[in-house]
Formats: sequence, C-alpha cells, structure tokens
Amino acid sequence: MQNVRSHGRQTLVSLAISIIFSGMAIAFQPGAASELARSGPKHVLVLFENNRLLPANIQGDKGFNDAIATAGPEAVISEEFLDAPRFDGDAYVRIVLNFLKDKYANQPPDIVVVAGSGALDFLLKHRADLFPTVPVVHMGVDKSFVDGLTRPLPPDVIGIPIEYDFAGTIDQALKWAPRAKRLLLVTGTSAPDREWEAQLRRMEGQFRGRVLVEYLAGLSTAAVLQRLARLDDSTVVFTPGYFQDGAGQAFKPRQAAQLMATASTAPVYGPFDTFMGTGVVGGRMPSFEAAGHEAGRIAVQLIDGADPASLKLPPVMPTVLNLDWRQAVRWHIDRREIPPGTVVMFKAPDFLEAYRTEVIVALAAFLLQTGLVAGLLVERRRRRTAEVAVDKHRFELAHASRMAVAGELTASIAHEINQPLGAILSNVNAAELLMDAGGDHAKEIREILRDVHRDNLRASAVIQQLRELLAKHTVEKSIIDLNQSLGDMATILRREAARRDVVLIVRPSPVAVPVLADTTQMQQILINLVLNGMDAVAGEAGERRMVSVSVERNGKIAAIEVQDRGHGITPETLPRLFDSFFSTKRTGIGLGLSIVKTLVENKGGTIRAENSAEGGATFHVELPIAENPVPVRLA
Amino acid sequence: MTEGSRVHIVDDDESLRTALIRLLKAAGFPAVGYASAGDFLLEPPERRRGCLLLDVRLPSGPSGPALHDALNMQGIDLPVIFMTGFVDMPTCVSAIQAGAVDFLEKPIRLEILLDAVKRGFAADKERQAERTAKDRLTFLFGLLSPRERTVFERVVAGKLNKQIADELGVSERTVKAQRAHLMEKLEVTSSAELGRLAERLELQQAGRRANA
Repeated sequence: MQNVRSHGRQTLVSLAISIIFSGMAIAFQPGAASELARSGPKHVLVLFENNRLLPANIQGDKGFNDAIATAGPEAVISEEFLDAPRFDGDAYVRIVLNFLKDKYANQPPDIVVVAGSGALDFLLKHRADLFPTVPVVHMGVDKSFVDGLTRPLPPDVIGIPIEYDFAGTIDQALKWAPRAKRLLLVTGTSAPDREWEAQLRRMEGQFRGRVLVEYLAGLSTAAVLQRLARLDDSTVVFTPGYFQDGAGQAFKPRQAAQLMATASTAPVYGPFDTFMGTGVVGGRMPSFEAAGHEAGRIAVQLIDGADPASLKLPPVMPTVLNLDWRQAVRWHIDRREIPPGTVVMFKAPDFLEAYRTEVIVALAAFLLQTGLVAGLLVERRRRRTAEVAVDKHRFELAHASRMAVAGELTASIAHEINQPLGAILSNVNAAELLMDAGGDHAKEIREILRDVHRDNLRASAVIQQLRELLAKHTVEKSIIDLNQSLGDMATILRREAARRDVVLIVRPSPVAVPVLADTTQMQQILINLVLNGMDAVAGEAGERRMVSVSVERNGKIAAIEVQDRGHGITPETLPRLFDSFFSTKRTGIGLGLSIVKTLVENKGGTIRAENSAEGGATFHVELPIAENPVPVRLA
Repeated sequence: MTEGSRVHIVDDDESLRTALIRLLKAAGFPAVGYASAGDFLLEPPERRRGCLLLDVRLPSGPSGPALHDALNMQGIDLPVIFMTGFVDMPTCVSAIQAGAVDFLEKPIRLEILLDAVKRGFAADKERQAERTAKDRLTFLFGLLSPRERTVFERVVAGKLNKQIADELGVSERTVKAQRAHLMEKLEVTSSAELGRLAERLELQQAGRRANA
C-alpha cells in the first residue's frame, strides 16, 4: 500500500536525519515516534467519556472514522466507552483500569484518542498505569478544561479543543440585523450561568460601539418573557440559556432558550447547537463531527510517523454557523448575507429546490465565460441535485407510508368523525322539529346547542390529528417524552384495535423518557409497529389476538418494545424484514418496517426483531435518551 | 302506532344516542338508549317492542350483527335497522339477508331515519299480528284430545272418513263425530279452511325446528 510505503520512507528519512545531526539522540528517546516506527497496521484505541449513543459521540465517531478512512492508513480501531456519568466512583474506575490493562496487554495501542473532557481527565490521571508512552490525541474537549488544568498538557498529549463562541455568534447576529440598535443579553443565576454572564461582560466592549448593550441577568423567567414580548425589531437577543432563573426555578438551557424564542418579538440567538429547532435563529456552534474529523487527521499524521510535539495545531476548533431557515425568513435575513459553509436547517425541500435553481441560473451566466470552471461546477451541481433527490425521496417515502397507514385506518377514522357529525345532524333536526312544534323549548334548545358545540370540537380534533399525521411537514426535532408518543398512538389506534378485535395493551414508563425526535415521526414509528403487530395476530383466536407496547428508560437508553402473539417471523424472512417493498402480507406494500428502521436510525437508534419464547414476534427499538443540552460543570 | 312501541337505540356513543333520542321524541317516536348489546338484553322481552336502531360497531361486548343473530336464534323478531359510519358491503349484505329492515349510513338524514323507523314499526305491528294469530292457533291446537289430533293429521293428509275409520279400527260414524268436534275446537267451518290452517301450523312447527 502506498501509505505504508510512504510512511516507511518518511521514517527512514527522519532516521537518517537523526543520525546525521544528532546520532546520540535516538538512544535516549524512547518516545512515541520510535514506537510508531514498528511495522504492520497501527492500533488506535478511542476512549469515549460517555456512552455509545450520545449524539455528540455518534457525530464525533463519524468524523473520526471518515478522516481515517479518507487518508487510508493501515489502522485497526478499538473503541471503549467509560459510560460517564451513569457509572462513576473509585471502584468503577479500578475495574475499568484493570479491564483496559488486561484487554490491551497483548495488543497495546499505538495511539490513544480520548473523546470528551472526562475521558482526557481519566487518561491524564491513570496514564502512567495504563499506556505511559503512547501518544494521546484528544477530541471534543472544552477549551476551558484545558486552560484550567494545573499543569500544562504533556507534549505528546495533543488535540484541538472546542470552544463555545459567544462573541462570534453575537457578531453574526448583528451582521444579520444591520439596523439593530440594542443588544440584549439574557443570563441566569446558577454558577455556570454566572460564569457565562462574566464571559459576556468580558467581551461586551467589542460591541459597545455598534449597539447599546443591555443585560437581563438573574430575572425570573416570567419577567424575562414579559420583557422579550415587548421588544421591537431594533433589538437582537443573545442567550446561552440558563440552569436557574432569578426565581430559583431550575431549567435546562435549551428549555430556557425555547421559552425565550417563543415569547420574543425580536430574534434570539444562542451558542449551542442543541438550541437549533427551538425557535432560536442560530449561532456559531462547535461541531462534534468536525472535532472528530480533526482528531482523525491528527491520528493519521501520527500513524505516518509525525512527532506529536512537532505538529502545528490551531488553538481551538473553528465553530460552524448554524441557521434555522424558518427564522431567517421570519426575521428577513438577507440571503446574500448567509456565508458559504453555513449549515441551514429546517428548509422545506420544495423551497430548497426553487432557491437552488435561482442560484444555479445566476451562476450559469458567469460560468459561460470560464468554461473550465463550469465543468467542475456542473458536476458539483449534479451531485447536489442527486443528494436533494435522495432526501426528497426519503421524505416522500415516509409520507407515502403515512398515507398507507391512514388508508388502513379509514374505517376507524370514518367512525370517529361520523359519530360527532351524526350527533350534530340529529341535534339540529331535533331543534327544528321542536321549533316547528311551537311552545317553549328554550331549555332543550340550549342543551342541543351545547351538545352541537361539543361534538363539533370532537370532530375537528379527529381531523386535526389526522392532518398532523399526514402533513408533509418539515422535520422538527425536539425533546419529547416517549410516554406522550405512546398515548398519542393509543388514541389514534384505539378504534382500529376494537374494529379488528385485537387487545392493545399500552405500558408507559413510570418515569419520563425524553428523546430527541420529531413528534410525528415518533408516532409513525409506534403506529407502524403496532399495525404490523395487529396484522400478525389477524389469523389468531382468543387471547392470542393481543399486541402490547411498552416504553422503558434503561439509564441512557430509551427502550420501546412491541410484542405480538401472532405467527412470528420465519427464519427466511428475518434477514429481509426491514427491506423496502418486502412484504409477506397479501395487502402490504412493504414500506412500514423499512420506514420505521430509517426513522429510528436517523435518531441514532437501533431496531431489531426476534421471536419470543411464548410465540409471536417482539420488536425492540432503542433510542438515546436526550441529554442535558450542555455539559454541566460546576466550578 | 302500537301501544308500548319504542325505538331501541344501541350505540356506544353517548352524544349520538342522546341526539337520536331527542330527535325521535320530537318526531313523535318514543325512544330509549342502550350503550351496549348487553344493556339492551337486560330489558324484559315484553318491553322490547317497536324497532331496534343498532350500531354495527360496538367496542365493548358483541357487535351489532352478533346481537341481531342472537335475537334471530332466540326467535325474537324485533325489526332491526342498522346504522354505521363506514358502509362495508359484506356486512351490509349479510345484515339484510339476516332480515334487517334497513342499513343506514351515518350521519343519518332525518327523512331517511324516520322512514326507516316507520317501516320498522309497521313490520313489528305486522309480525305481532302474525304472532298473535300463531299463538291462537297453537292454543286451539292444544285443546284437541290425542285421538282428535290423530284424526286431524289423517284428515289434512287427504284421507276419507272410511279410510280413517279402518286405520283406527273404529266406526265411520265415530270418525265423523270426532271430525266435527275438532273443527269446532279449531273454529273452522270447512275442510278447505282446515287444510289452510294445517299448512300454517306446519310452517310454524317447521320454523321452530329450524330455529332450535
């Protein structure tokens, strides 16, 4: 392989240089570079602070692996998860240490990558005990953690820390609101809240000349929201959210930001990517995927024989500018002012296409003059159109699957709507008859009107529910409680279960099960799985006509279990169960389970199916529990 | 309208039930509501008169068609009008085959509802009259002595008095007298009338056997 060859050559060159200029040095330098000079594939151990399903880890891992795969060195990657903060304590640390020592005794890593401040902290404390001479790359570590260390990092512990970019976010916000006269900064009262406030006060000088800077620090949420509701468009709001407001009430920063963005009559910006989708316009936010990618590139250089101390690394990871397209429209942000590289979210596909055509047409005129460049751009455009098409296709499939579900539910929906409509009609007819008959029927007619009103609301609620299910809406991820999704599903399918004479058992979790997901998609997952279960028991009799759904929280995992007592899954079906257009049912179009799988995996989750001991199939869905939006580190 | 006739409404939806009761009362038809098939069956049989306005889908307990079948099996011939929010042809067809008066789609228009209820009441009245006649026939037949029944069976089988006398080993005179007696008891004046009566009686018995 070319990489291995070039790596060998590089080592030879460096060896030759070392011999010529400092022949003695080699004997005294048992450091990382010489250890890496061993031939054969390199062993990279990645040590994550938290569990596998934390979104930041998934993104970081993806970036890291992409970088390794792109550079293509011969490397074997092992991954370990410290599962903080679910597991901690001295005993746990001791067990993990022994485990790592034993496990990697015969296959020691050539490079250790630590992901997260906690993992770096762990390694710094136990390095002498574990892998004393192995170079370390850190990724996704907060810059304030590195700066706060009592001793600077050893020269063979390297990486690019991440930083939350308050100033960059505010700067961008002001660029997007050129007429703004006032900058309003909202902070809270807990220790990290006050640290953020202090950070803001340190940098406010940068903005003094451009706008009037004002603080809403330590007010009750009610007072904050009241103030925000009366702002005009000459104001820009920035907030890192808060953990505690002036009234002593506890919040998650994301929650606080969501409340503010909802109430505010001026645009609200924030520095954390977890705020995206809450109504916050956007901001410069660190990207875990990019952090993983950079760590991967550093690891590649070390594999190629570079000396860790000699690598020139930027002091901090650049942040990514995120923008919620709906907010950009709402606050009239000039499209030309959206810098290249901005991650635009929540843009409906049809609009996206319209906008893209516009750009392409504008570019085309210019490109005619520079034919060479044009070729490249056409290629690029083709690829991007294909990407949009794939996205749109997936979106259409999800929608088609919902339509198919709605079709299956027609009978029960017709019943639910016709009951109130029938009651309204009969009530109105009765009122007419009473009035024709003469005499005083005021009391009865009042009762009739009250009932008509109630039934009207009942019918619209059903339609509303259906519309939510069928709408081609943009996907909006927010933190939702799976118990709520379970309840929604039960409301929609209650009639259907009765119609099919199937017992639907719903077992919510006694504790909240928060996940980051789109409400409708979550319903769709549950509805598809339950309908699948109902189909499976259609041929059964008696108490086997049963589908049960449970939601549970197992630490950092949200677990959904859908169990039926039907015919089970045959071994030949199992491998194709989640394939598109594969169906064993006479009437199925084979989209249900494949859509479920796509939706679950989009949320960083997994799905699997198995036959249960008592007959029938069980589907297990696991999703990551939605984490605190920002790491809490009390000083 | 027959005294004591009511529209018996079986629907799980309280709001719809209330509205239908209200409407039928305003239109001059006494009505009473039940939330399930079971609730309706708790009503004493003699008060189940008029007609039954029955929802096809009932979430708790037996469905509308299941209740209809059960009533048919027990020989309770209360006219049944089905209503449904979603007409599916198989259910509709089998309901009509099982003798339902009508199959209405919700929301039900006033004229259609009243028309169906009127037909239901008329059918009930007719069936009641029939039932009364049958009951009377059964009662009269019960008055015959065993010997008179034997003679009756032979008479309606078309045998002559002479043949019957030979078969039973009695005189023709005795047969003649017994024949006059049983005609008196059955309140008929001619042999032709006796034949028609026998036909009705036989149908009735055949019906009982089929339903058993």
